[in-house]
Amino acid sequence: MINFLMSFSPSFILIFAGVLAAFIPSYPGRKGLMIGAPTLALVLLNMIYLQAGASGTNEFIGGYFNVAGIELTTLRIDPLSWVWGNIFAFAGILNGIFALHEKCKITDTSALIYTGAGIGAVFAGDLITLFMFWELLALSSVFIVWRGGKESYPAGMRYLAMHVLSGVLLLAGALIYGKETGTYAFNHIGIDAPGGKLLLLAFGIKAGFPLLHNWIQDAYPKSSVTGTVILSVFTTKLAIYALARGFAGTEMLIYIGGVMTVFPVFFAVLENDLRKVLSYSLNNQLGFMVAGIGIGSSLALNGVAAHVVVDILFKGLLFMSMGAVLHRVGTAKASELGGLFRTMPLTTLFCLIGAGSISAFPMMGGFISKSMIIAAMFEEHHYVVFAMLLFASAGVLEHSGIKVPYFAFFSHDSGKRPQEAPWNMLLAMGIAAFFCLYLAFPWGGYQVLYNLLPHEVAGEAAFSPYTADHVIFQMQLLMGAMFAFTLLKRFGLYPPERRAQILDFDWTYRRLGLNIVKWIDAMWGRLGAQIKMLFGKMFGGIGRRLYQVFSPAGAFSQDAPSGMAAVLTAGMLAAALLSVYFF
Amino acid sequence: MAKKPNKHPQGLTKKQAKERTEAHPLAVPFLWLGNEKVIKNFIFVPLFGAILFSVLGFFYPLHHPAPWDFFASYTLIGFVAYSFVVLCAWPLFKLLARDENYYGEGGDD
Amino acid sequence: MSSISHILPSWVLTHGPALLVVLPLLMAVLVALLPSKNTGAEKIAWMAVLSTAIICAFIAFGILGQVVSHGPVKYAMGGWEPPIGIGYYIDALSAPILLLITLIAVLCTLYALPSVVAEIEPKKRSPFYAAFLVSFAGLLGMVATGDAFNVFVFLEVSSLSTYVLVAMGASRDRRALTSAYKYLMMGSIGATFFVIGIGFLYMQTGTLNMMDIARILQDVGPDSRVVKLAFVFIVVGLGLKLAMFPLHTWLPGAYAYAPSFVTAFLAATATKAALYLLLRFGFTVFDPSWTFISKFFMYLLAGAGILGMLIASLQAIFQNDIRRVLAFSSVAQVGYMLLGIGMTTTLGLTAGYLHMLNHAMMKGALFLAVGAFWYRFGITQVSDMRGLGKTMPLTMAGFTIAGLSLIGVPGTAGFVSKLALVRAAAENGWWWAVGVIVVTSILAIIYIGRLIEQAYFQPAPKQGAATVAKNEAPMIMLIPLWILALSALVFGIDAEWTTGLAEAAAHVLEGGPILNTPPLSGGH
Repeated sequence: MINFLMSFSPSFILIFAGVLAAFIPSYPGRKGLMIGAPTLALVLLNMIYLQAGASGTNEFIGGYFNVAGIELTTLRIDPLSWVWGNIFAFAGILNGIFALHEKCKITDTSALIYTGAGIGAVFAGDLITLFMFWELLALSSVFIVWRGGKESYPAGMRYLAMHVLSGVLLLAGALIYGKETGTYAFNHIGIDAPGGKLLLLAFGIKAGFPLLHNWIQDAYPKSSVTGTVILSVFTTKLAIYALARGFAGTEMLIYIGGVMTVFPVFFAVLENDLRKVLSYSLNNQLGFMVAGIGIGSSLALNGVAAHVVVDILFKGLLFMSMGAVLHRVGTAKASELGGLFRTMPLTTLFCLIGAGSISAFPMMGGFISKSMIIAAMFEEHHYVVFAMLLFASAGVLEHSGIKVPYFAFFSHDSGKRPQEAPWNMLLAMGIAAFFCLYLAFPWGGYQVLYNLLPHEVAGEAAFSPYTADHVIFQMQLLMGAMFAFTLLKRFGLYPPERRAQILDFDWTYRRLGLNIVKWIDAMWGRLGAQIKMLFGKMFGGIGRRLYQVFSPAGAFSQDAPSGMAAVLTAGMLAAALLSVYFF
Repeated sequence: MAKKPNKHPQGLTKKQAKERTEAHPLAVPFLWLGNEKVIKNFIFVPLFGAILFSVLGFFYPLHHPAPWDFFASYTLIGFVAYSFVVLCAWPLFKLLARDENYYGEGGDD
Repeated sequence: MSSISHILPSWVLTHGPALLVVLPLLMAVLVALLPSKNTGAEKIAWMAVLSTAIICAFIAFGILGQVVSHGPVKYAMGGWEPPIGIGYYIDALSAPILLLITLIAVLCTLYALPSVVAEIEPKKRSPFYAAFLVSFAGLLGMVATGDAFNVFVFLEVSSLSTYVLVAMGASRDRRALTSAYKYLMMGSIGATFFVIGIGFLYMQTGTLNMMDIARILQDVGPDSRVVKLAFVFIVVGLGLKLAMFPLHTWLPGAYAYAPSFVTAFLAATATKAALYLLLRFGFTVFDPSWTFISKFFMYLLAGAGILGMLIASLQAIFQNDIRRVLAFSSVAQVGYMLLGIGMTTTLGLTAGYLHMLNHAMMKGALFLAVGAFWYRFGITQVSDMRGLGKTMPLTMAGFTIAGLSLIGVPGTAGFVSKLALVRAAAENGWWWAVGVIVVTSILAIIYIGRLIEQAYFQPAPKQGAATVAKNEAPMIMLIPLWILALSALVFGIDAEWTTGLAEAAAHVLEGGPILNTPPLSGGH
């Protein structure tokens, strides 16, 4: 039995469980799958990896399928994919616990398939397998977006369009790459490889590169309480994995990452919806990872992997806490919240731990990993981007470290007295909070995180986070920023929270593009009317006849015998004759 | 440092008593966090913190200073960066904020 | 496969090509003569059809085995050697189609027993079965024969009987009559074009045997105007028959209003046989290496395919009638096949041929399921499908599997052929085609997803106070449906056999015109 289960990618277990969940009417049964399947996947992937380790290699390759003459490798566990596989499966368990109270078949099914697709994509050994899971990831997750209700529908469509585009680019890039290099294997690609730019663009859409990022802030905050938590884990982190695998050391990424860390900071201050603030914050954290991948040294890649692990934990924790607020209060808008710590003390505590972790306070999650990336940046003498990352660190403190907990739980008393979050949400948050603290614990904690990392933390990648100067200067930065907050608040210079739609780059297609299309449509309509009139005058009934033929109610769609079909046939014949004579 | 105000359970105002009964049991010992005085005086926590760590930074300098580093430069970076971000919000809000139903799809939640 | 050949007596195989055509025709006469007033007659007719179809399937299987192991099968009708007599010629290109037609006929006939009782008036049932046998014989004949004029004869035989079959849907929906009339008009135009083309060929070469034509055409060369005219007329005529966009207008009506079983049979076989003829004439009679032919394939055929994929998929999304959704989808799927053929590369031809085989399975299953919906609940509209996941779980599950395969979900047959097509397009450098395939797959998700969503996520309609009770289709309808649906799964997981057949067919096509005439193997 175990050997059988170990012969294919653990992702199939999750996908199978997802399909099963669609047919299970029993709510406890589905919830069992939601927690059991990721747990089983976590155990299996480690057993497979350990078995490979026992035979002296740190790489397991298997799960071969032959589809239409291409050999697909669906299971490749090596030090890099192992990190992602572990944290994805673990996040799957946390999501299962967090969603325990929810009785929604569609969320259960798509969350399991989505998780499975994420793990499957991470373990993909070739680009075609990656493409398949890439598209499955998009298709399964859009249903989660749509769980947010009516308003989420158009956002979900935009989300789907972006991700299908990303998939098409990936497929095109993969085919060019495969054709030119003779292999579809997914290893280091590099921007100069054939199809490399297409692949980078495909990964970039999913990773939220600047100007390609809008789908994150558009779709994530519109999903349901549990939906946003589930969504925040997989898609973007998978893109980080793909970049780390294929484009490590691509210099361009350093600058892209730098920009990504900085620009969301400004939008996050403006936003009122705290889940949208967290979506910008997500973008900003991805920037750290992308910049780290751009450096490509083993210290930087370790930093990226470590940051992915803790980011999934603390960003999940923050989304969970805001989900709990939304669940209990019915809104996550800063302008409507405040003073909730009185009745939701545990949620407040967990949210503060998450906020501290993302702001990289010493002894908390982000401190280790962010320091690694920044130190690597420093070592490579990229001082400009280094300064951008420092600036962004202060920015993170503003939107995720202070704004989110402050406006939800403290600030002025909104008079709302919601109940504490349900036990299952508290449990999920508690586990995430525990690991945020544990993985940064100076005595035996962060070493566990080190053991997960793809490169051994020694030699070139040696890094000790808890040195006096590290801790002190990090605290300087944070304290200076916090002092600025209190000072600005005291003098009324901190902008109040107001309900508004903040325009971002998506304005170009949601408003400008739409208006252009509408204008063209109106002009076209007028032109059409003019032409029809002209035809009407010139040929009497011919215009009417054309309309009868081409309109939806016209002969084109009718069943009654009409001359139209014969005309088409004659037209086809004429076209064929012409073509034959011209060729 | 903000001092925990002396409170006597018997000497609560009506409003405080109501707050107390509504609160979660675990939150009762922390209700002082909502006190006006505490909020007002909280500013001293980061101020003293910033001064403390700036002084400590003098004794434990960075092993690898950046070209521009000087005494307590990180405190200043944090302060300036943070203020810049927040102050930028004023003009940016004027520039970018629209009605909530700008796109005609309803609000965001 | 060879084990099957051992079961059959050797003369059956020797005369197999002739039997395939003659047996259904003979049985058709017998069935037509059955007294129509006798109520037992329709059962006898049904059994006659079923046994004929099964025997033909065995023969087709045996012939396929022979073709695979010994190469092309030749047969001279009545012992007269071509070019005087009519020669039959079955190779790796035609043998799988013969098997496909006969197997689909067996499955559809099984399904027909309850379905015909529900849809056809009692006194018309025996003639109905007779017409079906004639149509069946015509389809087999046009695939098996090696004589160009004989192709036309069988094309007309099958078409005329098909018009009758479609028109018999009138007892269920009067619109079947107008649809059949339109089909008749368009089909006749197609047949006329085709026979004009054959006439031009005869004018140029003086023979009707395909191999002789091919040989003489090699001497004539590509510059003859008559040859070009012949090519154009034949291709456009066949384009009508195989529902090439924009010559497909007859198809949605015919599929939507014909009796369920006829629709399933037609959708899975008729257009495939016409497509086979296009391949047979385009690649093995004419020479595809001639510039005007290769350009024609590349621009017009692939172009029409691409347009059909896009436009018909869009039209499918906006249909309200389930069978019209599937019918427009068929036009789109024909587009995929034409795209593959239009590439004229090994990979492209393999992919197009493979998609033809796979599409027959899944579209057959889909139409059978829709017929079952009508049989139980009188459902024709998409909106009426709500709650079918609960009221007809097994039928709906079969429908869903076939639908997923149509979309091209990994693990299904549709995925295998679509992936093959994508690879072929990529290898050819046709990146836009890759994009179109992906886009139309998304469109397929929408139009199939709409149906599945209705069935599984909408509550079943109420009848008075109570919800409509579960009412599964009869077993004899479920079995053929599930065989087709499962085959769409099986050939999605292990596609070696179907891919092998498609590769063999592509190999034949690549060889160009078939000129040499090896010794005849039968008919003496």
